[in-house]
Amino acid sequence: MSSVPGLQADCEELLGAFQQADTVRFERFAELWRERRFHTVFYGRIRALERNKLTKKTLELAQQYFLPPYAFQIRVGALYLLYGLYNTQLCQPKQKIRIALKDWPEIQKFQQDLIDSQHYDAAYIFRRLRLARAFHFTAMPKLLNYRTKKKIEENEFKEEFKDPSNRVNSLITNDVLEELMNIHDHYQKMKCFISADKSQPDKALSLIKDDFVVTLKDITLEHQEWQQNRMKLFLNAKETDETENKKKDETLLQSEGSERASALARIKYRSYSAVAEASKSRRHRQVKLESSESGKSPSRSRKTSRRAQAARRRDSPEVRGETELAKETVTRHIGMPVIVEENSDE
Amino acid sequence: STDMLMSSDKEEDPDVISEDSSLLTLRIRKKALERREETIIVDRACRQETLAYEMESHAIGKRPDNPTDTAEEGELLLTLNIFYPVIFQKHKDHKPYQTVLVLGSQKLTELRDSISCVSDLQIGGEFSSQPDQAPEHISKDLYKSAFFYFEGIFYNDRRYPECRDLSRTIIEWSESHDRGYGNLQSVKMEDYVFNDVSLKIGFPYLFCHQGNCEHIIIITDIRLIHHDDCLDRNLYPLLIKKHWLCTRKCFVCKMYTARWVTNRDSLAPEDPCFFCDVCFRMLHYDAEGNKLGEFLAYPYVDPGIFN
Repeated sequence: MSSVPGLQADCEELLGAFQQADTVRFERFAELWRERRFHTVFYGRIRALERNKLTKKTLELAQQYFLPPYAFQIRVGALYLLYGLYNTQLCQPKQKIRIALKDWPEIQKFQQDLIDSQHYDAAYIFRRLRLARAFHFTAMPKLLNYRTKKKIEENEFKEEFKDPSNRVNSLITNDVLEELMNIHDHYQKMKCFISADKSQPDKALSLIKDDFVVTLKDITLEHQEWQQNRMKLFLNAKETDETENKKKDETLLQSEGSERASALARIKYRSYSAVAEASKSRRHRQVKLESSESGKSPSRSRKTSRRAQAARRRDSPEVRGETELAKETVTRHIGMPVIVEENSDE
Repeated sequence: STDMLMSSDKEEDPDVISEDSSLLTLRIRKKALERREETIIVDRACRQETLAYEMESHAIGKRPDNPTDTAEEGELLLTLNIFYPVIFQKHKDHKPYQTVLVLGSQKLTELRDSISCVSDLQIGGEFSSQPDQAPEHISKDLYKSAFFYFEGIFYNDRRYPECRDLSRTIIEWSESHDRGYGNLQSVKMEDYVFNDVSLKIGFPYLFCHQGNCEHIIIITDIRLIHHDDCLDRNLYPLLIKKHWLCTRKCFVCKMYTARWVTNRDSLAPEDPCFFCDVCFRMLHYDAEGNKLGEFLAYPYVDPGIFN
């Protein structure tokens, strides 16, 4: 279905404001909602047939934010948004929210999380929606469209809303670490068993470092902290740059008033923030580098097959440094590797 | 927290977009509305739109008179798009279709009976010499065979002895050489309900009847039945969307729908030429019913007959 013009921008703006507020309370969301008078999004002298279609598309758009991989706060915001849109829609009988079968277990898990973390207002909102029979349980999330589209629309959702993809963490989970520990112990015992001295393994048999599991855990923790800091810096940088670049933004938008101009403004604004942010974060990053360096210097020299993954992340950036450089001005993301930023000359 | 928080506190007209709206959606919509006001003289729903809306919503919330006819709670509701066979060239790009809602527990034969295709109503034969004796048998009665093709299985209609297994030709063809199709099976349509059939959503399937009239069927949605849906089993398969086809009018009076088509007609300006019943007889037959001039005449059923 072709999307409703402007709706995605409005929703993202509201969810962005909610994310900034850094809370998951419904009262806060309701304030933001009332500020923007979001219930008027259905206004405008729309006839019945068109209104049905419009409401369906609106609910579908909001529903996408309700599912992973979005961050927890965004998902709660999406839940409130769905509640608001469902209740303020003008269609009679009300259009329903489509939930696919495959998403349902995740949503139930989400609800359980809400209850466990005592966000009772969000859980209550969800229960209200269930009781109001607001959901259609479908096989597929999107209702299909039967027209051959001229071009495929790509939905680009804001990166900030997504949970930082924690691939390292999902790989090296607690279970994995525990198992590694067990295997390692078992291995040590086997070595002791077959060597002459039963209390410790032969010197010839020591092929790996003994405490690599602990080191692995430390590295993953460090990575997670780095990621969180990066997100914070990005959000902060965006805030401060917004005020500087707003003027530039506004004049550009006003002079042409067309979509192209606003897209250009957005790209320029993003690249400014990327530049400014690089310098800011580099400062921070350098500090961090030293501290991490001091703490980690003994670990730098390890070269085991297990560590190859973590090691590869540090080494390969040197090779990829050039391409990362080229990408920096276009994308909003700073490349993870520390070494690149020292070499870049922005 | 109630939904009073959402609604406005003063009386508002949903038709009016306020000037100072902060929502981008509304600003864009306002511009579109203003454009509409400038260009359209009378801004109301045309009859096609009214019809479409009516069809979509007429059955919502209906309950049956007889409680045993209620659809049950775990029932599945399938939405099928049945495409018309391409008769007109302009349909090749945007194929017209009708949308039907079907319950999971309904038999395939019920869907087959509900599909209305113009080719079912054709009357074969040339009747220029005996226009009053156009037979009553329409093709639907003569050629009753039909099949559905879903996921490698042909579901043939075998309720009547005249029905033949139309899919046998296809199965024999695919088995004769290694054509790369897996095992194609043939079963009886009346033994199966939709819950038993394995389906893919969005994948084109086939319905064939009359031997060569083929309709593509696409399943667009499967969902659980809802409190607000129509719960009367007798109304399913439920038609909720239909394509509007313009009917061809008589060449002479331009008022009535064409019922006859003539070929090689010395009295007609074009070939083929369409006539309504009255104009046809007035032009081609004299007062005693004798045939005037040379022509071939066939009864014509317009595709727009289902409007």
